[in-house]
Amino acid sequence: MAQPPVSNQSQEQRVAEFVTAYQALRAEVGKIIVGHNEVVGQVLIGLFAGGHVLLEGVPGLGKTLLIKTLAESLELSFSRIQFTPDLMPGDIIGTNIIVEDAQARKHFQFQRGPIFGHILLADEVNRATPKTQSALLEGMQEGAVTVSGSGHPLPSPFFVLATQNPIEMEGTYPLPEAQLDRFLFKLRVRYPALEELTEIIDRTTHVRDVQVRRVLTGPQVLSMRELVREIPIATHVRDLASFIVLGTHPQWERAPDAARRFIRYGASPRGAQALVLGAKVRAIAEGRFNVSVEDLRAMALPALRHRLILNFEGEAEGVDVDDLIGQIVESAENMSGSGKEVFLR
Amino acid sequence: MPGPPVLDRLVGDVARQIRLRRAEFYGLRGLFWGAVAAVLPLVLKESLGLWSYAGAAILLIAGAGAGALRGFLLRLPPAEAARLADRGYALQDRVSTALEWSERPDRTPIVDALVTDAVARAGQLAARRIIPRRVPREARFVPLPLLLGLALAAAPPIPLPQGRLPSFSVSRDEDEEKARDRSGDLQQAERRQATRRDPVQRADVQERNLAPRLGGGGQSQPGDLAAIFKDTSLGGRAPDFNSFLKKGDERLRMLEQLDRLPDLQSDFTQSQTRMVFQKAKALRGGLDPNKKASPEKLRELLNEMERLGRKGGGGGQGNWSGDVYEGMEALEGGQTDRAMEAMERALNKMRSMEERGRDGKSLKGGRESDRRGNRRGDRGAGQSGGPGDEGDFPEGEGLLPGRGKSGSPKGDATARLRGNPFDVGVEGESRPGRKQGIDTNMLGRGAQMPSRMQYMGVLGQYRKMMEESIAREQVPRDFQTQVKEYFQSLDEK
Repeated sequence: MAQPPVSNQSQEQRVAEFVTAYQALRAEVGKIIVGHNEVVGQVLIGLFAGGHVLLEGVPGLGKTLLIKTLAESLELSFSRIQFTPDLMPGDIIGTNIIVEDAQARKHFQFQRGPIFGHILLADEVNRATPKTQSALLEGMQEGAVTVSGSGHPLPSPFFVLATQNPIEMEGTYPLPEAQLDRFLFKLRVRYPALEELTEIIDRTTHVRDVQVRRVLTGPQVLSMRELVREIPIATHVRDLASFIVLGTHPQWERAPDAARRFIRYGASPRGAQALVLGAKVRAIAEGRFNVSVEDLRAMALPALRHRLILNFEGEAEGVDVDDLIGQIVESAENMSGSGKEVFLR
Repeated sequence: MPGPPVLDRLVGDVARQIRLRRAEFYGLRGLFWGAVAAVLPLVLKESLGLWSYAGAAILLIAGAGAGALRGFLLRLPPAEAARLADRGYALQDRVSTALEWSERPDRTPIVDALVTDAVARAGQLAARRIIPRRVPREARFVPLPLLLGLALAAAPPIPLPQGRLPSFSVSRDEDEEKARDRSGDLQQAERRQATRRDPVQRADVQERNLAPRLGGGGQSQPGDLAAIFKDTSLGGRAPDFNSFLKKGDERLRMLEQLDRLPDLQSDFTQSQTRMVFQKAKALRGGLDPNKKASPEKLRELLNEMERLGRKGGGGGQGNWSGDVYEGMEALEGGQTDRAMEAMERALNKMRSMEERGRDGKSLKGGRESDRRGNRRGDRGAGQSGGPGDEGDFPEGEGLLPGRGKSGSPKGDATARLRGNPFDVGVEGESRPGRKQGIDTNMLGRGAQMPSRMQYMGVLGQYRKMMEESIAREQVPRDFQTQVKEYFQSLDEK
């Protein structure tokens, strides 16, 4: 394996800079967003892992504001698409238009759509038709779009943050599994606690001038993404990730009973990738040079909750996917030898 | 490449702790089984003497020692020790990752930073016991064999049984002979009497005559099972088959009600007149001559004829409404024969009207004719049609490929050809003999297999009606399978 280029900086310095940038970004977002520490942290992890994040929560919890604030904290172009049922794929990707040059010759020219931005906020993504939702697929996975047979690369870094509302399902189009799988994380935005709510009221109902600084540039984000992939992971930790992902498959002979009972389809290999990449970012954000079991445990929910499809029994009994993942992780730890009495084997 | 010494030392220390804990764990297990085994020589203290104490002690110590040795020598991979070190010292997998990656050829520069970090943290650690002690389940029961062993050690030797065990088998004659030698005849007689077994008293019920019970009352005979119920309310009751027969009768009666059975033979794709003919035919010929026609069915047919008369105008020569009314009146009065006669008259009128209509228009029928309306009327009657334009083609069927009616929607073919001076080859009469033209319906395998389109279409409609009838439970349950099988057999033809 080729050795990655070693910069003049020591690795400790690189990691320290990562931690500083991460904390600074978090602080900037924290100027506007009250609470939601876990969600903010996981959004940033998604950003540095190079994935896309889907935020789910009832209206008014600050999902859109969080993303807008994040975009303001980065020196990156930002575009927002409000998804509606009449939105068409061309409205996202762009279209060829006829233009006339100086010699009065007409030709087609590609007019770029809002997808050609570094940070894309797909607001209420489940309100558009599947056809329009699918327009995002290629861009999210390949970092490029194809129009009339010609490919157009998207700017890098390209980061999609989508929001959706779990209620008011009337007139919505739930994202298909293929689309959901493209999201690195699915985050649930919870209702704020009492202290947080008080703080929100204080901040938003008084005269208050808050300026969000831009603390990171695009190349910095890309450099941080590269650093993330250099983080080593021990075999037993990697095996635990595999056990967790395989444990979501009811067909697997060692899957826990809960998975066999309630799950129809388990997580794809993308789930394992998301799990390990997220764990790497979390590790480095904490100033560590390695991935630990705790990192995997922390990343299991956002990385896997949208990748499990419950069967009829699971749906009928109202099984919470998060609880199910918790059981699967516990079972995987026992399988991988992280149990309590492992030293007696 | 060996890991950094600090990490190796840390892992070695943890490995030692693990071995000790394992030795404790398995030693306690061995102690339990050793104590259990040590009870045996103490039981045999009488024969073994002082060796029993020594044997017990040896077994006890050997059990514990063997267990401890096994635990101590169990395989312990360094990676596992490193993992436990990480967990015990809350190092978040730094040590295990550093040790593993420091030996890998594909190590990244950041691994050096990791190793440095791990070494720094390990160096700050104070040595302490991080592996918890685990007590095996058997350890809770160790006192039991120990106490038992102590009690046995303290107690006098247990006398072992001497000689042979007493025989519990039945004494045989030979034994008795021997016993007779030892004791007197009197004793022997008494013993024989005591050991003699009474023959088993067989239950009387097996020998009784199980005569059939005649009624519920009367004296019970030996072996009469009714005696069991004699004092109960069940005793006087005979089995009630009437209810069963009653239900059976109802079913049989239902089968006789032909009126209620669905008419699966009727063809609703045909014209209404034709249906009336068919129903009338079924009403007259389908029944037993000695049996009267069903008034309900007759009334239904008359109603239909009356409806048909209204719909078709019914005036002029084909007016059969009067006969129908007469028939209905007769039916109201209970005169079925008269009603039948009236119906016959009405049918004759209907038939003659149908004949007249056929003679006049020949190929009238189908949606096309309705659509074209007066155009064909202008052309005049008497045009002969192609094959199959008889009554076999009810509405719409003239549109089937290759079997069209002579009244082509595109006009009269002959007239058109005449209008073209260059197209003269098709004029004249067709010569006798085999056709030279290409007729896809008559050549090749198709000629051997006539079209089944009409049959299949009608069959589909029948099947649909059959399914609806079964769904509405118009077909008796017992006949449903039969009906389905019948349609299945039609499919296979």
